[in-house]
Amino acid sequence: MKRLIFFAIAALSVTTILSNIASADTTREDALDYRISVMTVLRGHIGAASKIVRGLVADDGYLAAHAEGIAAAATELSRIFPEGSDVGESESLPLIWEEPEAFADAISKSKEAATAFVTATQSGDRAAIGKAFRNLGGSCRGCHDQYRVKN
Amino acid sequence: MINIASKINYEKILGAVLLMTAFSVFADQETIKRGAYLTYAAGCITCHTEQSDDAMSLTGGRAMKTPFGMFYTPNITPDNETGIGAWSDDDFIRALQHGVSPTGTHYFPSFPYASYTGIARQDLLAIKAYLFSLAPVNKEVGKHDLAWFIPSGLAAWGWKALNFKPGRFQPDSTKGESWNRGAYLVRHLGHCGECHTARNVIGALRREAELGGSNFGGETVPNITPHPVDGIGRWSENDIEYFLEIGMSPDGDFTGSSMADVIDDNTSHLTRKDRLAIAAYLKSIPEFQSSSQ
Repeated sequence: MKRLIFFAIAALSVTTILSNIASADTTREDALDYRISVMTVLRGHIGAASKIVRGLVADDGYLAAHAEGIAAAATELSRIFPEGSDVGESESLPLIWEEPEAFADAISKSKEAATAFVTATQSGDRAAIGKAFRNLGGSCRGCHDQYRVKN
Repeated sequence: MINIASKINYEKILGAVLLMTAFSVFADQETIKRGAYLTYAAGCITCHTEQSDDAMSLTGGRAMKTPFGMFYTPNITPDNETGIGAWSDDDFIRALQHGVSPTGTHYFPSFPYASYTGIARQDLLAIKAYLFSLAPVNKEVGKHDLAWFIPSGLAAWGWKALNFKPGRFQPDSTKGESWNRGAYLVRHLGHCGECHTARNVIGALRREAELGGSNFGGETVPNITPHPVDGIGRWSENDIEYFLEIGMSPDGDFTGSSMADVIDDNTSHLTRKDRLAIAAYLKSIPEFQSSSQ
């Protein structure tokens, strides 16, 4: 049974690592543009959420909406880095494709942190929200530190 | 009679000695605690720790790529053989305020003593007390790999003769307490300019371009003067404080450059008051237009 679970998990992770946005019609540039768009969506939601988290802008129920936006875009992280898409303006480092398991781990940390942030916003507890947002930021920073060009 | 009197005296003396010992232990603990905070503020951990997840803190070995060669930071744990365990207080002060090692050799400016020279003696001794409270780690690090045109350690002496002026930070009485604290943190302890200020051909910081951005170790280091386009003029003091705490710029991006290490090992450990002081200072310096470089 243990073996079976192990193989099931292993098979699942391989699929997760390999699944990506590319279809027969996708050019490398399309893949890059798509990635930049998804990252811009993430950055927009995070920037907006931070203003509410810091108490600089009224919540009015929108923090939860931004948190869900972040979590939704974060689920795409594992599919927006197809191999060969480090073209043109890409800021992705080759390390992403050299160590796919480590990269997949880093991505799942971000996904978990995004889900935890959604849960925190639903609780309405400001301290918990602040903590979850910091954790989320830490996961972004961790990945950018390792896998994004330094500039 | 005499016996009783002397007994009382002994008790009094013993009590006084115990009290003094307790007080000095307490004072030592306070100094170590202050030193730990200052060790973060001075960014010691960032450079004196290797860049791997299982690296031992402060044991050195981090490679610093410069146009003058590859420098390896030393082990600064109190190990007698490979660290700084044999250093006296004055050795430590001379190294940090004057760039001279206990054996009398001159350090290359990859060690930011040109900034550290402004740090007060009592702050440096608190840092030393903290470092000496840590477990010594016996670890040898690699020798500097100097570029061919750097003849020897003598070059460090020449560089200092041309570019280095020792001297403590002098508060500006026309400015407030927060500004002065920020100036001390930015210019001296935090030594922000060592990366954020461009250097001339012989590697001296260009004072007229203070914090105007540079290229360092293959990274583009941003302009952090209040210039509205090239710098961070649009950031509020709160934005700067928040960035120094969690690494997010106001547009929602999280930094992943060397600054991520600085945030992890330095600015996120500071008090909010100190981070706001840094912000107040940064907002007060002259705007620098990057295209004028």
